[in-house]
Amino acid sequence: MEEKIFYITKKKLQELQEEHEGLLEFERKRSLSQEAPKILESEDLNPEFVSFQEDVGFLRSRIDELKNILDHHELIKNPAKNERSVVGLGAKVKIAVDGQNDEFLLVGTLEANPAMGKISNESPVGRALLGHKVGDEVFINSPMGITYKIKNIKYEIS
Amino acid sequence: MDKIIKFFSEIGKLKRMPRRGWVIREIKNPETIAEHTFRAAIVAWMLAAHKNYKLDFGKIIKIALIHDLCEVYAGDTTPYDSILPKDKKSIRELVKTWPRFSPEKRQKIAAEKFKKENAALEKLIKDLSPKLKKEIMALWLDYEKGSSPEGKFFKHADRIENFLQASEYWRDNKKIPLKPYWIQAEELHDDPVLLEFIEQIDKEFHKDKKPKN
Repeated sequence: MEEKIFYITKKKLQELQEEHEGLLEFERKRSLSQEAPKILESEDLNPEFVSFQEDVGFLRSRIDELKNILDHHELIKNPAKNERSVVGLGAKVKIAVDGQNDEFLLVGTLEANPAMGKISNESPVGRALLGHKVGDEVFINSPMGITYKIKNIKYEIS
Repeated sequence: MDKIIKFFSEIGKLKRMPRRGWVIREIKNPETIAEHTFRAAIVAWMLAAHKNYKLDFGKIIKIALIHDLCEVYAGDTTPYDSILPKDKKSIRELVKTWPRFSPEKRQKIAAEKFKKENAALEKLIKDLSPKLKKEIMALWLDYEKGSSPEGKFFKHADRIENFLQASEYWRDNKKIPLKPYWIQAEELHDDPVLLEFIEQIDKEFHKDKKPKN
């Protein structure tokens, strides 16, 4: 498995820890031929999914994957006050692009969900916005040359 | 066995259902949902295999095969549906831009789509064996939420297939607006192999002429 740093919020870390512990317990009970627990109810973890994982033997690989993330994670935190004028991980950025306004939250790949405005720091747009300030125009090198103008930056990581 | 035949007949409808995104762009003889599924499965499998990703390819292909089954009853949807004007001229203008919504509206659209598709899939698979039902539902949820590496990879490969198809339509008809696809691609993808593929699409399709919009 590649050694990569996973940037995650505290909330995501808790979810992953719960999933990891739940699956370890599930695996332990299964090995003792006991009935599987039905306690896995975090938002991202569907019992049907876990049950299916067990059926087809992916349980162990998911446990290993979660351990790898937990061993190689870095928490996304609000930066120091004097650094909050710059786009970094955890920043909520208001932008203008192609005649429209939008708002992105810059997150790590595990929490990215562009349909919900959560942009990965490893995506071309996420990467390009990092380090910029309000007023900057960030050019994305694509065939159409799309420009994102930064209108506001906020940090609200709890 | 009669119930499984009925199921196969129902999903066969996807072979004749055109993808709505191409319909609103007035593409003649647009691809069907089943045609998209076919290539999305191969794209996902081969791009993952190309870089020796440690993913379960069987699972990726199963996710690909079932990811749009719900559309038999839920129909295909596009990101433009909630703001789609009635007249063709206004639609032509609208699809030149990538639609953007407030955080509240995004949540609402996503929740409504999930509810509708979930109900449609449950209806479609209701007479299958409990084991198959459970497997199909689990694979679909995995795709929807991107909960496993395979689900997440396929979710992105699915968009890549759509992006490739848009580029192919543009090659034949330069009036097809490509900008929304590029905007979406640059905001959505962060997987190295898919980003490399996007660069390759640019080289392959825009050697002689760059898209203007």
